[in-house]
Formats: sequence, C-alpha cells, structure tokens
Amino acid sequence: MIGNIRQQASGWLVNVAIAMTALRTNLMRSILTTLGVMIGVFAVTLAVAVGSGAQVSVMQSINALGSNMALIFPQPDTGEGGRRSFDRGRLTMRDARAIQKQVSGIDDIAPQLRSNIQLIVAGRNASTNAVGTTPGYGKVSNLVAEYGRFISEADVRSAARVVVLGPTVARKLFGDFDPVGETIRINRAPFTVIGITESKGSSFGNDNDDIALMPISTMRQRFSGDSLAGPDDLQLLFVGFQDGISLPDAKREMTKLLRERYRVRGKDINPFTIRTTEEFMKESAQVTGIFQIVLVAIASISLLVGGIGIMNIMLVSVTERTREIGLRMALGAKRSDIRNQFLVEAAVLCVIGGAMGLILAIAGGTALTVYADFPVPIGVGVGVGAIIFSAFIGLLFGGYPAVRASRLSPIEALRTE
Amino acid sequence: MALVETQDLVKKYELGGETVRAVDGVSLSIERGEYVAIMGASGSGKSTFMNMIGCLDIPTSGIVRIDGIATSDRDSDALAELRNQKIGFVFQQFNLLARTTALDNVAVPLIYAGLGTEARREKAKAKLEEMGLGDRLDHSPAKLSGGQQQRVAIARALVTDPVILLADEPTGALDSKTSEDIMQIFESLNEQGITIIVVTHEAEIAGHAKRRIEFRDGKVIEDVAVNNRQKVSS
Repeated sequence: MIGNIRQQASGWLVNVAIAMTALRTNLMRSILTTLGVMIGVFAVTLAVAVGSGAQVSVMQSINALGSNMALIFPQPDTGEGGRRSFDRGRLTMRDARAIQKQVSGIDDIAPQLRSNIQLIVAGRNASTNAVGTTPGYGKVSNLVAEYGRFISEADVRSAARVVVLGPTVARKLFGDFDPVGETIRINRAPFTVIGITESKGSSFGNDNDDIALMPISTMRQRFSGDSLAGPDDLQLLFVGFQDGISLPDAKREMTKLLRERYRVRGKDINPFTIRTTEEFMKESAQVTGIFQIVLVAIASISLLVGGIGIMNIMLVSVTERTREIGLRMALGAKRSDIRNQFLVEAAVLCVIGGAMGLILAIAGGTALTVYADFPVPIGVGVGVGAIIFSAFIGLLFGGYPAVRASRLSPIEALRTE
Repeated sequence: MALVETQDLVKKYELGGETVRAVDGVSLSIERGEYVAIMGASGSGKSTFMNMIGCLDIPTSGIVRIDGIATSDRDSDALAELRNQKIGFVFQQFNLLARTTALDNVAVPLIYAGLGTEARREKAKAKLEEMGLGDRLDHSPAKLSGGQQQRVAIARALVTDPVILLADEPTGALDSKTSEDIMQIFESLNEQGITIIVVTHEAEIAGHAKRRIEFRDGKVIEDVAVNNRQKVSS
C-alpha cells in the first residue's frame, strides 16, 4: 500500500521532470505561454483583492459613522410602497426628544441641520460642510475634540456663536497655528473657535475632516431657517444605541412611535426614513459584492485567453512529440501515462505563470495600498487559491491536447517523422 | 507452447481507394530461444508483421499469441503492459530521447513498470554496464556514436528483462564494422536465452540468425533453418 503510494508519487515526479525538460527545450515558447497565464492570474488576483479592499473600505467608513446607530431622515420612505398621505417628509426636534425618551437602549441622539458655510479669518477663507447639532453628536459619532472642547448644552441653549473645526478646515485657515480661542467670521458673523476634532481620515476620497460643528440653535437662527418647513424641523437625526441592542428591534420601535406621531395608517408610506448602520453594511456588502463579481468577470477574460494559449501550445507540443509518444507507448506507457505526462506539463506551465502573476499582483496591490491609499489585501487564502486555480486552468486547457496525445495509435505515432 | 504464434494473420490498409493486404494470412510460430530473421523487400509486409507481434499495430483479422496470451482480447492498457514486460524493441533510428542522458533513456520502460527512482537507476546502470557503456551513463545521445546509441537502445530494450527482442533494421543506420558489433551482441543475448526476431533486408544480417523467414506480398514464401551460420569475424 505504502509502496504503491510511493510509486505513484514517484510517477508524478517523473512527469514533472519530463515536463521541465520539455519546457526547457522550447524555453522562449514556454516563457511566452507562461506570460499569458501570468497576466490572467495577475488580473484575477488583483480584481479579487480590489473587491475585498472596497468592502473593507466601505465597512471602515460605515464604522467611522458610529458602529451601532440609526439615521432618520425626513424623507418619505418609498421603499415598501403604499399610499402617500402627506406632501413632504417630516422630522422635528420634538420627534427626536420623544424617541430619546420612549425608545429603549438609546445611548444618545444627535439631531442635525446641515449647511454649506464660508469661513474667513485674516484674509484666508474656506468653505465647508457645517453641522448644527447637540453635544450628543460627539458620543454618537465617536468624535472627540483633540484640542479645546466640544459643543456644550449651554452653547445650544444660548445659541452661542461657537464653532468646532475639523482638522482639515483648521489647517486651511490657521496652518499649524493653534486656533482655539481665535475668532473667525462665518457668513459675516463672528464666531469663536472652541475646539478641533481628532482626525477621522478619509473614506472613498471623501475627507471626513472637512467639517465644522456648531450648536444646532445657532445653525437654525443664522443659516438654514428658510429651507425648513417648520421652526422645529430637523434635516437628520442620529440615534446611537448601547452595545448589544438589536438594531432591527430598535428600528421597529422607532418606526411604530413615529407612525403614531404622524398618524400613518396601514400600508401608507412613512414620511420619514430610518436606516441602521447594520442595513448600510448589508447593502454595501451587496454592492461591493457585485462590484467584485464584475471585476473578476472582466479579469477572467484575460485568464481565458491565457488558457487558450496553453491549449494552443500543448497541441503544438503533442504534434511535435508524436514520435516520442509512440516510443513511450512501445516501451510500455499506458494511455493514462501519456495523458498524465501532458497534463502535468500544462499544469506546470500554468503554476509557474500563476506564481509569477501572484507575485505581480502582490506588488501591484502593495503599490495601490501605498500610493492610492486604497487597501488591497492579498491574504494567504487568495495566494493559495491563485496557485490552485492556475493548476486547474492547466488541467482544463491541457486536458484536450493530453487526451488527444493519449489516443494516438502507437505504430502511427512511431512512424511520424 | 510457442512463444509467438500467429494464425491466419491479416492486415489490410485502404490506400488511394485500393485495399492493400500488407500481411495476408500468415500463420507461424516461434519457439522460446529462437533467433529469427524476417526478410523481404520493402513493402513485403515484414515490418507490418513485426509491428503486430510487437502489439504496436492491431491486426485486421487473425490471432497473435504472445507467451500464450491472445492479444486481440486485450485492451490498450493490457497491451502496454505486455510490451513493457515481455517485449523489447530496437529501432533502425535508435529512437532515443534527445537531451536525456543514456541512463535516463534506459530507465524509461521502468517508469511504466512502476519502479521507484532508485530501483530504476540501479537497473538501468547495470544494463548499460553490460553493454559496455558504464562510462557513458551521463552522456546525451548527441554525444554518443551511432553504435553507442544503438547499444543504449538495446540496454533500454532489455532493462525490463523481456523474453522477446524485436529489432527492425537494427543496423540500417550503422556502418558495417559497427553492425558486426551489434550482431555479436544479439548472438550473445540469444545464447543467454532471449528470443530474437530481426527484420532486415540485408542477407548478411540475416546470416547471423538460426532461422530465416522470407516475406513477399504479405505472405511467407520461405521459412528455413539456417545451417551455415556465419561466425562473426573478430
């Protein structure tokens, strides 16, 4: 039994040795054929890695938002269908307070108004996205002041003209100079800079640090009064939950509460939309999954071309070595021996190409990670997968030539010049 | 029981719309230990006949028995095994693998016999030494003379210890001096008990055999014992 296994292993090793001799004999041809597989494996491996990188990137940006929260927008939720019993979406500060009071498991909430603002100081100016909110924003979004302090309840109550800057805005206006305590003008009104947030990096080329935060009351008074239907309206509400809270349950609870408040009946459309980070993750996973499939499908075409190259060269090899095949058969090679010999030769070609393609892909992935700030993870699994897949390509495209070789008649093969 | 036996062996080809009977009803038997020369002009059917008893070619009809085994009953794997175990081939053009050492060339049949690397090297080395090529183990065919190449080929034919050696014009590519050397090897192998069947059109080569079978138009026209067997000149 063990002897038999050793004999078989030795038989395969012999085939590898025969393959190496044959490939060396036509070195240039072997290299060119290998290039096709190399490019194919490079493309597919990189496509897989870029796809997983996109997934990682999306997850990171969702996590940057806050890991366990719901976002409520005053937009009609048309997703489920039904009758609209209202003209536009609604969401008010009173709704936010009701949610905070009545829904269980809430950590904190962050009602928000958003507007684009112009900041000016000493001749420098910057335009950024301003968020008018409450102290809860820091907690819900995992955002803390690195220098100075965050917005306080007192700031909100008094509609104080204070602003917390993101690092990007701060750098634009003040360079390396510490801006805490300085006065800047926002749309002509003087504001005091009370803090700088810590950096949240960027996701998908979106700079999370290009932001300015002020009390929601200040925002309402000065920048966005006209665009809202009522004096109490919100543009966005973050609801942060404690760890271990079921987001689907929480969403049901909030939906029920808001439907009661707006008297939405039966199948009628809600005038608000609730999305949880969990849903975002699922949706993004779906989107990035499709993205990855499309990428891999496109890359597979190059691998297919490489495989056809393998088949082509193996057919040439079989034709050239017909006499050798006849000789081997005369000396006792069975059909399966001849078939395996050429299968191994094709697989060896492909695995060499695959290994080179993998090395290229690792280099390309590293370059993308370093220079484009886009994570391209090529793990051990992807690497081993690429090699096994290359061997599989060899067996697939080498199969027909190998079977053709094994079907030759010994005497006709021997007679071939 | 005869070692090689044929009954009414026929091989037909379709050639340009005409049916050619390359071998046309040959029945003969060759005993263990014989040294047979098969002669005939080119196209006489002698090579086709040999290919069929070597299980390289399939008869159109009739029976071939090798050591009692009827080849027509056997599938291609069984025939491959039969060739590997019982028959050694020697070709006119040597048919050695290029860019492969003498040792590895001789070891090829042992791969298909299922031997491990060490056993293959040992047996191949021993056979090459018997052929007086102990100092040429690592030479590729390109670095060997014609006679040396044919001796490598004979070593390869004998490495699985077959009972029959089939040689098709074994000296056709060699000069007369080297041909004599090869014939001497055949004679000593025959003395060791190996059955030898040589296909040739050279009377001189056939003169070394103990029995001469003459083919013409696919039929045996003469089958005689050779009495005045030539002694090899030293």
